Amino acid sequence: MDAAERDLLAETLRKTMAAATGPALDSALTDLGWADLLTEAPEVAVPLVFQLLGETGDHASLLNDVVLHAAGRPLGGTLPLPYTGGSWVVWERGGSGSPGVSLDGELPLRVSPVGDPIPLAAGRRALGWWLLGSGRAMLALARTHVLDRTQFGRPLASFQAVRHRLAETLVALDGAEATLVAADDDLGSLLAKAAAGRAALTAARHCQQVLGGIGFTAEHDLHRHVRRALVLDGLLGSARELTREAGALVREGRSAPRLVQL
Amino acid sequence: MNVTEFRADLRRWLDTNDLSPGPDDSLDAQVAQLARVRRALYEAGWMRYGWPAEVRGLGGPAVLRAVLGEEIATRGLAEPGIYSMVEVLAPTMISYARPELAAEMVPRLLGGREQWCQGFSEPGSGSDLASLTTRAVPRGDDWVVTGQKVWTSLAQYSARCVLLTRTAPGHAGITAFFVDMDTPGITVRPLRTMHGVDEFAEVFFDDVIVPSDRMLGRPGDGWQLAMDLLPHERSTCFWHRIAHLYTRLDRLLEQRTAADSAQDDDALGAAYLALHTARCRSHATQRRLAEGEHLGPETSVDKVLLATAEQQLFDTVRDLLPGVLELTETPWRSEYLYSRAATIYGGTAEIQRNIIARRLLNLGKE
Repeated sequence: MDAAERDLLAETLRKTMAAATGPALDSALTDLGWADLLTEAPEVAVPLVFQLLGETGDHASLLNDVVLHAAGRPLGGTLPLPYTGGSWVVWERGGSGSPGVSLDGELPLRVSPVGDPIPLAAGRRALGWWLLGSGRAMLALARTHVLDRTQFGRPLASFQAVRHRLAETLVALDGAEATLVAADDDLGSLLAKAAAGRAALTAARHCQQVLGGIGFTAEHDLHRHVRRALVLDGLLGSARELTREAGALVREGRSAPRLVQL
Repeated sequence: MNVTEFRADLRRWLDTNDLSPGPDDSLDAQVAQLARVRRALYEAGWMRYGWPAEVRGLGGPAVLRAVLGEEIATRGLAEPGIYSMVEVLAPTMISYARPELAAEMVPRLLGGREQWCQGFSEPGSGSDLASLTTRAVPRGDDWVVTGQKVWTSLAQYSARCVLLTRTAPGHAGITAFFVDMDTPGITVRPLRTMHGVDEFAEVFFDDVIVPSDRMLGRPGDGWQLAMDLLPHERSTCFWHRIAHLYTRLDRLLEQRTAADSAQDDDALGAAYLALHTARCRSHATQRRLAEGEHLGPETSVDKVLLATAEQQLFDTVRDLLPGVLELTETPWRSEYLYSRAATIYGGTAEIQRNIIARRLLNLGKE
């Protein structure tokens, strides 16, 4: 896929996501050829689609397909996914209409008693891109707010304490993006999911703070992204768990793998 | 020459040509070792790849210099901070010096025959570099320089200095010169640092006469020169430093007494993740540079990631080797203390965040 084709795809996806979310978005993406995209050009499709889910605040049950594809199983079903703390969840598809049980009620997640081991790397990369998109959405909301709102006769954006929080957020997000771009094996994907989870939580903390009172209301969109980041962080391993796992790996190996080379 | 081939050949050469430093870790010994390594690498050609033929380089992409520096840092052959100084000094000369001057001088630097320094900061001009006041006044065919510089790395070893002076008011009134350090009127006083390696100096200029043909660029080009060297510092130098920090994480992993204990995994993992993140970001920057992209304010992100990762790593060393750096004579002591400067030198972390807020997030003026 060349750059022009990629731009066209991104534009189409944006339009599709502006018009639908949840089961309706699943159907629209199926019509767009999601299955072919995933199997034939995952290196383009996964970053694009999942980051856009984060940026738009939409959701779809595509993570199932990413994991099923990695496991060599047919697309279109569901399967129990490991969740932090030793739990399992199922990401329902088709839309039974009943709300999900997680902190982010929009997502059709239900807790599952058991599950089988599944390949994790591809799903972690996809979730990493989603978390990155959520983080960028929060940063965009916070940026708009601090430019628009005036206190003490000047925009919030003119206060250094506010500016530095948003700068820190961008550093975390751009750093996480670099790890996602570089992730092409198990360890790289684990580290990228950890970096993305951490970056999204950093974005949530700083953006919530600079949004002040309005960001605490359900009338402002921030809380939807905060909830999503919290819930997605725990799926297929939280930033905290994965960081610890990376620590165990370098401790046992007595050396820190250099994953990207010039 | 492609990168894979270059790296393989270089590794083979380094395996058979032992350039390991001796036991003396004084600054004198480090500087002598640096000159030895540069000389050997230059004579064998390695130090000439990635530099243009105009300065007797062998050509090839600049990324070869990052590969060379990574190999030198990984093998611990030269202290990475002072090794990387050529990455800012040589490109500055290539871009701004008269071609004959660059052709004459740059090989001396690359070949380890001379050390050079960079006279930028002043007692009254740190973060606010553009307020510098060291004066250069024309007199006949010469310029006369008067003033004081500080934080000038390796000034006491240097044969030349890339010097920023004030020739008129404002940003457009800064002019750069290439000054011989043995010119009468120059006095160097090394500063004592808290980590015990006195690499910085104060440099005093007292009616120092500099010929006009030693001006770098034209009058008023000095600020642009200073801005142009940031991308060099923040691409190749950073890649070298990150390679060095990985060796220190490895050293910590080898030295931890409780190697089977999982209680430190959170801290080890976090230190590794921060380094990995800085490396991935720097890798992306290297790739953009290779594609001919102009590097700009987005390298402030690289700078914050690297400085944060460096301090986190040495904080982890202190936590996981309890009492070691406080109670024993260990190289960790000096390295830990030096890491405190990572958020200060090369533009403080606060300045980087100001740049990110203003230029990358477009938040307007403070």
